[in-house]
Amino acid sequence: MARRPDDEYDYLFKVVLIGDSGVGKSNLLSRFTRNEFCLESKSTIGVEFATRTLEVEGRTIKAQIWDTAGQERYRAITSAYYRGALGALLVYDVTKPTTFENVSRWLKELRDHADANIVIMLIGNKTDLKHLRAVATEDAQSYAEKEGLSFIETSALEATNVEKAFHTILAEIYRIISKKSLSSGEPAPASVKEGKTITVGGPEPTKKACCTS
Amino acid sequence: MFGGAKGGGATELDAFYPIRPECKADVPQTRFKPRAGKTLSERRWHASFTQDGHLDIAKVLRRIQRGLVKSYQELVLVELIFLLKISGVLIEAAPLLAYGVHPSIKGVVWEFLLGCYDPNSTFEERNLLKEQRSTSIRLLPLPDASAYDHSSLLLAITAITAALEKYNTWKAECQRVVNVIGTGKFITTPLIGEDGQPTDNSLIGVPLSDKKVLQWVQTLHQIGLDVVRTDRALVFYESETNQAKLWDVLSVYTWLDDDIGYVQGMNDICSPMVILLENEADSFWCFERAMRRMRENFRTSASSMGVQSQLSTLSQIMKTVDPKLHQHLDDLDGGEYLFAFRMLMVLFRREFSFADTLYLWELMWGMEYNPNIFSLYEKSDSESEPAEANENAHTLSAKSLKQYGKFERKNLTIGNTEQQHSALAVFLVASVLEIKNRRILKEAKGVDDVVKILGDITSTLDAKKACTEALKIQKKYLTKTKKA
Repeated sequence: MARRPDDEYDYLFKVVLIGDSGVGKSNLLSRFTRNEFCLESKSTIGVEFATRTLEVEGRTIKAQIWDTAGQERYRAITSAYYRGALGALLVYDVTKPTTFENVSRWLKELRDHADANIVIMLIGNKTDLKHLRAVATEDAQSYAEKEGLSFIETSALEATNVEKAFHTILAEIYRIISKKSLSSGEPAPASVKEGKTITVGGPEPTKKACCTS
Repeated sequence: MFGGAKGGGATELDAFYPIRPECKADVPQTRFKPRAGKTLSERRWHASFTQDGHLDIAKVLRRIQRGLVKSYQELVLVELIFLLKISGVLIEAAPLLAYGVHPSIKGVVWEFLLGCYDPNSTFEERNLLKEQRSTSIRLLPLPDASAYDHSSLLLAITAITAALEKYNTWKAECQRVVNVIGTGKFITTPLIGEDGQPTDNSLIGVPLSDKKVLQWVQTLHQIGLDVVRTDRALVFYESETNQAKLWDVLSVYTWLDDDIGYVQGMNDICSPMVILLENEADSFWCFERAMRRMRENFRTSASSMGVQSQLSTLSQIMKTVDPKLHQHLDDLDGGEYLFAFRMLMVLFRREFSFADTLYLWELMWGMEYNPNIFSLYEKSDSESEPAEANENAHTLSAKSLKQYGKFERKNLTIGNTEQQHSALAVFLVASVLEIKNRRILKEAKGVDDVVKILGDITSTLDAKKACTEALKIQKKYLTKTKKA
């Protein structure tokens, strides 16, 4: 199939990246959208976003991913972006137990501000730091099951499971959207792009030669 | 976007703020080149003081703002070069010529621009203070009042002495609570656990019964997490001691300003001060003065952030000066201008290289300069009533008007006196929008497109041009609102 330009797609899915400060949200995003990882990356101010168009279940999906500042003080701004989001990637750092303990707070945030049927995926990032691991996979797995979230462990640095994480959540969103339109008897919406989006900050410069890929 | 032609003259500036070799390709390129004979050089800076040390601030401002395009012909030329660059005809070989302040004296000039010192205090006294500053800060004797005829001078000296003393006192207070402060080390993991108890009792020196103290302790790891991510491409921050200096300054500031506390982004503002001024107390006060202008942006509540007030001013300005563009943005659901959030929070630091930001900032502070800021800040510290900032332009002579920056001067001459004057940064964002006007109107079909178009300024924005445009917009806005 010929490569489509970025603005041709069947669906536009808005996904938010949330979680404590410093767990690697921005690097998960840059790994997914540009296949880059930057050790010198700066903290996110407010909300930044990036997109990638890809094939999921035979459909062209444009994933519009909103990356948020982790500090609680930014919540007033970041939570405004939950609205209209079809998915949320809730990230913690497998080497920092407090970031895992805070997952429940983030879930509450989502329940308070996001759409009720938002698809949530729990992500344990930084698995490359094997010797520093402090959160067991099983603990996170059972927590995710209890809360009804999908779960995966990733390493943005080593590019482990990053594609899989995004593919899984986008596929799940697609299944829900297509099921919904089947049961309602209406055709699937051509795109969800009419959904209101608010924008903050700009995307980071794209060419980063020192970033490993 | 632009072909190679790296190096050029801009590397000269980068030499002052060396970048780690492996990160060179990772950071925005420095585009401004200090122009020999046009910058505020060390020699010229020293020549701007009278024999007894009064600073001719008007002269300094003139030189700093010199880069601003004045004549129509010059504007056309700049425009032409810009067009040639974006169309790819002109490869980015020739760096933009910057005026501004020479890197060797940036720190000391900033201290004046930001109101750490009164230009009317004397050179000798400041020298004496600097000397004593580095040895014993607490034992500084107050000068004999009879030796000086200038009462404001005495105020200045007392204030400086007190300020330095204050910083060390505050730092000592912080140290008593968390003993990592001032040790050349810092922390990135929470000091307080989920149960509200210290995670490591050996680091905490006092019982944490006070709510404010507890809140402060809970912030310290966040500061640490941001310190390790601040300007990591610079050689300066390869040193843990330098990272700890940034952590100390931010921690003490947070201790002092518990009303606002620490909010991510303050590290971006503070970092240059820590690099430019060797003495930590000097870095602190420079940062503190910069925060006087910006701290309201960082005020947060459960439902809003302070910077949204600047964003609504921006909306107001755009509605007034370019209703068509405003309407278009509003139609795209961008009427709240949230896409400009980061530009205002960290004053364009993410849009420019480190060296270029410094140039932009001193240009902005030069343009905003008000000769009364020093005494205003000192007064507002000692009095409950905030000092009146606005003066009537009619009572000022042409000579004293020159002691004001170009932007502030316009506020005085055109603006309403009772009107709260908006920050230059807001007009600067407006000017960026105006520069991108055609593309936004033509190409933006959603707010994400606006973000993308503005994202391009990282490699193309000319700070001087944007500041010139900002002055034009300010004039237009002030004139229109005054009529209305």
